[in-house]
Amino acid sequence: MGNGDSPAQVELIIPCRPEFVGVARLVMLGVASRMRFSYDEVEDIRLAVGEACTTSVEWAERNRRSDSTIVLRSEITPDKLTVDIIDTAGSRKDEADSSDDQDKEDLGALLITLLVDEIKIEPGPDGTRVRMVKHVGQR
Amino acid sequence: MNVNFKMETRTSEKNVPIIGLQGEVDVYTAPQLKQQMISLLEQGAKEIVVDLTDVDYLDSTALGVLIGGLKRLREIDGNLMLICPNARIRRVFEITGLDKIFDIHNSEQEMHTAAGKETA
Repeated sequence: MGNGDSPAQVELIIPCRPEFVGVARLVMLGVASRMRFSYDEVEDIRLAVGEACTTSVEWAERNRRSDSTIVLRSEITPDKLTVDIIDTAGSRKDEADSSDDQDKEDLGALLITLLVDEIKIEPGPDGTRVRMVKHVGQR
Repeated sequence: MNVNFKMETRTSEKNVPIIGLQGEVDVYTAPQLKQQMISLLEQGAKEIVVDLTDVDYLDSTALGVLIGGLKRLREIDGNLMLICPNARIRRVFEITGLDKIFDIHNSEQEMHTAAGKETA
């Protein structure tokens, strides 16, 4: 980071649609690369954020909310990266999903828990807020 | 058009379809892979190979499509095989435990050698 160790924030707003998830991943790659993470850890962060955005996109499709958005907010401090993924994709209430959809989502959730150090999911009626934290130099 | 993803299907010397993927296989592009696998199944394929050699990103949507393909092929006593020399992509299979479910090979050559041993 250019300015010593002072905290920094990077924020991105994308449409909650499949073709924009790659944009979120690119930004996370850029952000995580500026921190003291190993190559593998940077990849972990990219994948975890990609998975969280994918889940948002899938719920937006299910809830027919094509105009919803994802706010991706990263906070960079010397010892950790905190990423909030906040969508307006509607409620995540299950209604007779196909088992395939469920499997895919479980896999996404599993990946996230394996890739980051902390994960918190706050579902709301209008959308979901996911917070993930990755500490520097944990492994 | 998507510059981050390409898909081309070729046929192995043993007449098995090989779906070669390039770039990012994610929520945006995985539906194309799914469509291609469905169409190969409809044409009667019992074995399908997915070549991930040139893939640099793969997410749970792609894993879901591959699992779906594997399930359908196993139902008809077929199989889905993967070519994946890239350690970073292989890691996604390893951390999810899917490396134990899929037949993963480092190259087409290695896959043929393994298949030869099985039938010998």
